[in-house]
Amino acid sequence: MAGESKDCYDKDDMDVDEKDKMPPKSGVMDIDGGHLHGERSDSKLVKNIGKVVRDLRGLGFTSMAEDAYASAIFLLLKAKVHDLAGDDFRTSVLESIKGWIQAVPLQFLHALLSYLGDSFNYDSPSSGLKSPLASRPPSYPGIDAPSEALVRWKLRLEYFAYETLQDLRIAKLFEIIVDYPESTPAIEDLKQCLEYTGQHSKLVESFISALRYRLLTAGASTNDILHQYVSTIKALRTIDTAGVFLEAVGEPIREYLRGRKDTIKCIVTMLTDGTGGNSNGTGNAGDSLLEELNREEENQENSALEDGFNTDDKQAWITAASWEPDPVEADPLKGSRNHRKVDILGMIVGIIGSKDQLVNEYRVMLAEKLLNKSDYDIESEIRTLELLKIHFGESSMQKCEIMLNDLIDSKRTNSNIKATIGQASQTSTVSEDSGISLDILDATIISSNFWPPIQEEALNLPGPVDQLLSDYSRRYTEIRTPRKLLWKKNLGTVKLELQFEDREVQFMVAPVHAAIIMQFQDQTSWTSKKLAAVIGLPVDVVNRKINFWISKGIIAETMDPESDDHMFTLVENTSDVNKNSGDGGSCEELLAGDEEGEGPVASVEDQLRKEMTIYEKFIMGMLTNFGSMALDRIHNTLKMFCVADPTYDKSLQQLQSFLSGLVSEEKLEVRDGMYSLKK
Amino acid sequence: MWLLSGDAVVCLELACEDCISFLWHAVASWTWDAQDETCGICRMAFDGCCPDCKLPGDDCPLIWGSCNHAFHLHCILKWVNSQTSQAHCPMCRREWQFKE
Repeated sequence: MAGESKDCYDKDDMDVDEKDKMPPKSGVMDIDGGHLHGERSDSKLVKNIGKVVRDLRGLGFTSMAEDAYASAIFLLLKAKVHDLAGDDFRTSVLESIKGWIQAVPLQFLHALLSYLGDSFNYDSPSSGLKSPLASRPPSYPGIDAPSEALVRWKLRLEYFAYETLQDLRIAKLFEIIVDYPESTPAIEDLKQCLEYTGQHSKLVESFISALRYRLLTAGASTNDILHQYVSTIKALRTIDTAGVFLEAVGEPIREYLRGRKDTIKCIVTMLTDGTGGNSNGTGNAGDSLLEELNREEENQENSALEDGFNTDDKQAWITAASWEPDPVEADPLKGSRNHRKVDILGMIVGIIGSKDQLVNEYRVMLAEKLLNKSDYDIESEIRTLELLKIHFGESSMQKCEIMLNDLIDSKRTNSNIKATIGQASQTSTVSEDSGISLDILDATIISSNFWPPIQEEALNLPGPVDQLLSDYSRRYTEIRTPRKLLWKKNLGTVKLELQFEDREVQFMVAPVHAAIIMQFQDQTSWTSKKLAAVIGLPVDVVNRKINFWISKGIIAETMDPESDDHMFTLVENTSDVNKNSGDGGSCEELLAGDEEGEGPVASVEDQLRKEMTIYEKFIMGMLTNFGSMALDRIHNTLKMFCVADPTYDKSLQQLQSFLSGLVSEEKLEVRDGMYSLKK
Repeated sequence: MWLLSGDAVVCLELACEDCISFLWHAVASWTWDAQDETCGICRMAFDGCCPDCKLPGDDCPLIWGSCNHAFHLHCILKWVNSQTSQAHCPMCRREWQFKE
């Protein structure tokens, strides 16, 4: 600081007129303004300022003088930081700010101080008057060693710059993290700033409030929240390796996500699918989060396990050597995790609470995916499973492994069966009655005990197909005695090619759709009742399913005036229906149940509902006795009384969702959080 | 009957104007053709596997005795090997003979 020299001035210029006080002050401001534009410390200008400062000191306005030029410099610096940093997070600005501090304000101060210093001379004995706190500046003016005052100014300016930049970045942290990893330079800057200023708590507070305001709202999709969560983890990991602030920041997000129903599903999708949503493994652009995590982990491990050390010893040594005390801000209640490696997957699993739920959801999704496959290509699924096994342990992924094994097995069996046909046809026993060969039938054969519950629907397939299926299972039994096949006729996929007079259309459809459209071969119009009888499904289901063909313009719906029934007719010519004239020849894909949003596999919620129905009687009985009860009380009563066979082990949330299901079925009423029987 | 481009796509109907050819990918589950659901020794499902196995099906097959009782192969082998003299069927106490 320049303060060290001010005491020396108290004697000089004591006789300066009072009136001089005002003009010089405004002069300082003026000159600073000019300085801002010129960015060149003119020696005359410095001299003027120096004179004014000295005069002011002489008047006893030492602190005012210093305040004036200090605040001017800080204002300038602040403007500069804002100007340099701006909204661009892709470049690091810290160095250029430091360079600017060196180049502009320090130059000015250097000139100013040396001007002021000239008049009193470092080596004069009067330096004894200096403040005792300020040590004697280096007294070799010939050498360009920075004076102590200058060094202090430098530190002060840099601290101010760090703080300004930090505030700026913290205010925009949300955007910065949205941009991650492009915004890495900004985060590095922030990290350095925080190292100097230590205002981490500011970051936590402001970021949490930004999160609450901008992310954790009903309008944000769960996917976005999760992505932001992951980016937050990654970004904050660079700022704070111990993960202390991350814990504080992550808590509100986790809390919020727990309240969302589709969180688990989104997490699983994010883990397994590429970010681009193309699960077919085409292109590496959309790598799954899991693979990304794994790559990171491998890198870490590779660097850790280079030489032939015993891994455990080595690991222990590394953790011991890299131990750092928790930052002061760490919550002592949470306990010091000495191995607080920030594990993204762990933090994501932490949202849900247990990995079992995650694994279960994955299994359901995997089942759905596998059942909808029309080939046996499961490479990407195998890879995902291997990765999941690393993180969740082999035993919890056991069932999933069996599912994948089933597909591999099916592929083998399928080709074996096809091979027997080859032999059979050589010995001239072509599949007896139907004229079509088994070539057009593939089958996925599953070990149903290990798959999630599968929804079965009775369905009458067209005769030839049925014939094929029984043929197939006969051959299967021949190869694999004493095992037999049970067909799940509503599952699978059918690749259809419809040929009309004027067009050919290809579809990927569910068996129901195929069964429906194939009925129209023999008879081009059906009433819905008759069609339902032939297909073996309820009328309303048929009406719903046939909508698919109506929407494709293959079938037209009319009302039959006689029987007051829906009448479906095959559309022979595209000219009849104009709306989808562009469809000809294109291959349209629509997999089982897509349009109704119901998959072949019972969802986790359905499973839960099934499990909960056991308790429905208990709940009904309870409410008959007590009139109305709060959720907590129902939960506790169930816990108390349903101790054996089956034990009540559901969470409060699960109970709540079950009860709200009962409410929507109009079995219960809920008023002010109290459940009662519907009268 | 139509055969399209040497592929396995076959037309169902003969001499039709509107013609549907298809490739059917069906789903089935396999099950052991045994009378019982669970193995009498380990009480695990036949369609599952014995406690020592991980993969069901070929890796953990069933075996029938001459008394027509079925068990997981691994389970009954363990049982037979643990008997000092002649082994008996755990279900009906008849002499255990593997069914031919």
